[in-house]
Amino acid sequence: MEELASRNKIKFDKYRLKKLVIALLPLVALIALFVAYLIILNANDYNVSMNLKTLLNQSIVLILVATGAIFIFTLGQFDISLGANTLFAAVIGTLAYKASGNIFVLFLVCIVVAVACSLLNAVIASIFHLPMFVTTIAMLSVLTALATFLIQSEGTASGTSFSITLPSNLVNDLSAIDTPAFKISVVVIFMVLMIFIFNFTKVGRKMKFLGGNQNCAKLTGISVSLFGIIAFALAGLGAGLGSSMTVVYAHTVSTTTASSIGMSVFIAIVFGGMPINGGARSRIYSALIGGISYNLMTNILFILFQSMQGVRDGLVQVISGIFFLAIVFVASINYRSKNLPR
Amino acid sequence: MENTAKRTKAKEIGRKALGIFTIPAIVVLAVMIVCLSTGQMILTTDVSFYGFTRYTAVVFLTTLVLSINLGSGRFDFSIGSLSTLSSVIAAKITYAMLEGSGASAPVMLLISIIVGAILGALSGILYVSLKLPPIITSLGVTLIYEGAIYMINSGRPITTETANSSMTFFRESWWLHLIIIAIALVAIYLAFDRSKFGYNYRALRAGQNISVNTGIKEKPNAIICYTICGALMGTVGFLQALPGNQITTSVLNFGSIGIMFVAFLPMFIGGYIGKYTNDKIGYLIAAICISLISSTFALFSAKTITASVQSIVTAALLVLFLIFLNNEQTCKDIVNGTFFKKLIGKIKNKKDAKNGKPQE
Repeated sequence: MEELASRNKIKFDKYRLKKLVIALLPLVALIALFVAYLIILNANDYNVSMNLKTLLNQSIVLILVATGAIFIFTLGQFDISLGANTLFAAVIGTLAYKASGNIFVLFLVCIVVAVACSLLNAVIASIFHLPMFVTTIAMLSVLTALATFLIQSEGTASGTSFSITLPSNLVNDLSAIDTPAFKISVVVIFMVLMIFIFNFTKVGRKMKFLGGNQNCAKLTGISVSLFGIIAFALAGLGAGLGSSMTVVYAHTVSTTTASSIGMSVFIAIVFGGMPINGGARSRIYSALIGGISYNLMTNILFILFQSMQGVRDGLVQVISGIFFLAIVFVASINYRSKNLPR
Repeated sequence: MENTAKRTKAKEIGRKALGIFTIPAIVVLAVMIVCLSTGQMILTTDVSFYGFTRYTAVVFLTTLVLSINLGSGRFDFSIGSLSTLSSVIAAKITYAMLEGSGASAPVMLLISIIVGAILGALSGILYVSLKLPPIITSLGVTLIYEGAIYMINSGRPITTETANSSMTFFRESWWLHLIIIAIALVAIYLAFDRSKFGYNYRALRAGQNISVNTGIKEKPNAIICYTICGALMGTVGFLQALPGNQITTSVLNFGSIGIMFVAFLPMFIGGYIGKYTNDKIGYLIAAICISLISSTFALFSAKTITASVQSIVTAALLVLFLIFLNNEQTCKDIVNGTFFKKLIGKIKNKKDAKNGKPQE
C-alpha cells in the first residue's frame, strides 16, 4: 500500500515537473534567444544599442496589441481586424495630430478610435447574434478600405504608394517622447493594468471561466455578450496604444503600416505559451514573451542569412514557420486530445 | 386525397423555388437598376464576359474549399499561400518542359492541381501528426509556403513562364472556365455526397466523438479533405495567373490570406440557398451573384467606385446578410407586421413571470 502511494507520488511529482518545464519553456526560449542575439550581434560587429532599439520598436507595437488581444483569445474568440484597427486609428490619430499639433490629442484620438472600432465589432455581434470572427472579417475589410481611402486622399504619393507624413516641427515634438524609457514605461503601465484586470479581478476570472466552458459559465449567470464587449474594449485599448506608438517612432502612416500585426498577434501569443482556445490556462504575459521572442528569432535569422540576399526574406519566413510549429508542438505536448483538435 | 397531395407537393416546390431564386433575383434586379440608371450594360463585351466566368470559377472553388474546412470546424489560413505556391511551381515546371509553346496552359493547370493536392496533403499530414488546433497549424504552414513562394523567384513576379499564347487562349475561352466549374461541381458532389468518404466526412462533422467511437477513421478523412482542398486551390492559383499572365510572389507576412475573404459572403449565401437545394449548387449560385456584383462595379471608372468602396460594400453586404441569416424569424415578423405584437407579448410575459402570474 505504502509502496503504491510512494509510486503515485513520484508519478505526480514527475507530472508537475513536466508541467513546470513546459510552462517555463517560453521564458527559457526568450532568454536563450536574447543571449544568442547578443552573441551574434557582437560576432558580426553590429551596433548593439542601435539593434536593440530597433528590436524595441518592432516589438512594442506587437506587445501592446497582443496583450489587449489576450482577453479576446481567453474567451476562445479571435479578432482578425486588429491590424486594420491599428492602421485606421493611426491614420485618424495622425490627421488629428497634424491639425492640432498636440501630442496628447494624438494618443487620445488613437485610443478612442481603436476602442470605438473594437466595440463596434462586439456590439454588432452581440445585438444581432452574429459569429464574432465573421464580424471581425467584415471590419477588417471596412477599416482597411477606409484607411486606404484617407491615406490616398490626405497623403502624398511616392511612386505607386501613398503615405501621410508628419511635418518636421511635429516630428521634433515627437522626438521628445521617442525614447526607449518612454516606450518601456507605456508598456509597463499597460501590462500592470492588464495583469491586474486579468489576474486579480472578477472580470479576468469570469473571462477564463467563459473561455473554459461557455455553457457552464452561462448557467452560473455570466453574460457572454457583456464580457465579449469588455474583452473587445480592452483589445481596442491595446490597439490604440499600439497605433500611437507606431506614429511616435515612424512619423508616417502608409497603407502597409501594421499590415501584418493582425496575424503576428496570433503567432506572438501562441509563441508565448497561450492556448489558442483560451480558458483557464490563458496567460497575460504570453504577449510580452511571445512578441519579443518572435522578433528576436526573425532578427537572428536575418543576420545569419545576410549573405543570401535574393532569398533571405523567404528563407527567414520558412524557418520561422518551422520553429513556430516546433515550439508550439513541444509547449502543448501535455494537452493532447484523443480526437483531432478543431 | 390525391389533389391534396399534389397541392402539398406544388407548395413545397414553390417554397423551394422561392428559397433558391430570391437572392439571385434580388441581385439581378439591383444590377439591372444600376445598369439602367447609368445607361450601360454589363457582360456585353468579350473581355467582360470571360472575366465574369473566370471570376465565378475562382469564387466558386474558393467557396467550396472554405465550406469544406469551416464545415468541419477547421479554420485554414493557408489556402491562399497554397494556391499561389502551386501555381508558381506549376509555371516553373511547365516552362522548363515546354518553354511557353504548345499546350502550356492545360499542362500548367494539370501540374497546378497535382502540386496543390500534394501541398494540401502535406498540410493535412502536418495537422494530424502535430495534433495542434488547425488554426495554429495553418499559421505555420502559411509562413512556410509564403516563404517558399518568395524563394522560388526571389520575390520577383513570374511573367516569362506565364506569358504565352496558350495562357491567353485559356483566359479568353469562357467555355473552358465553365468546364472547370462543371467538373469541380460534379467531382465535389460525388466525393462529398455520394461516397463513403463523404458520408464519413458528414458524420465527423455532425458528431466527432460518436463518429470516432463507431469506427470512422478521422485522420485519413482529414488528410483527404486537405488534399481535395489543395487540388481545388491549385486550380484557383492557375485561374488567378490568367488575367495579367503573371503571378505575384512577394506575399510575405501573411500577404496571401486575402483570397479567402472573397469566399465568406458566397459561403453564407450558398449555405442559405443550400437549405432548399444541394449546398454545392447553392455555392455556385452565390458565386455567380458575387461575380455579377463585381462586374457591375467594373462599369464605373476606378475614380468613381474605388477598390475601397467595393470592399466596404462587400463587407456591408456580408454583415447585412448575416444579420438576416441569424435573425430570420425576426425579419419575417417585421415583414408580416407581427414583430411589435410579439415584442409586447414577450415584455408582458416577462412582467407576469416577475409578478408570479402564469404565462400565456
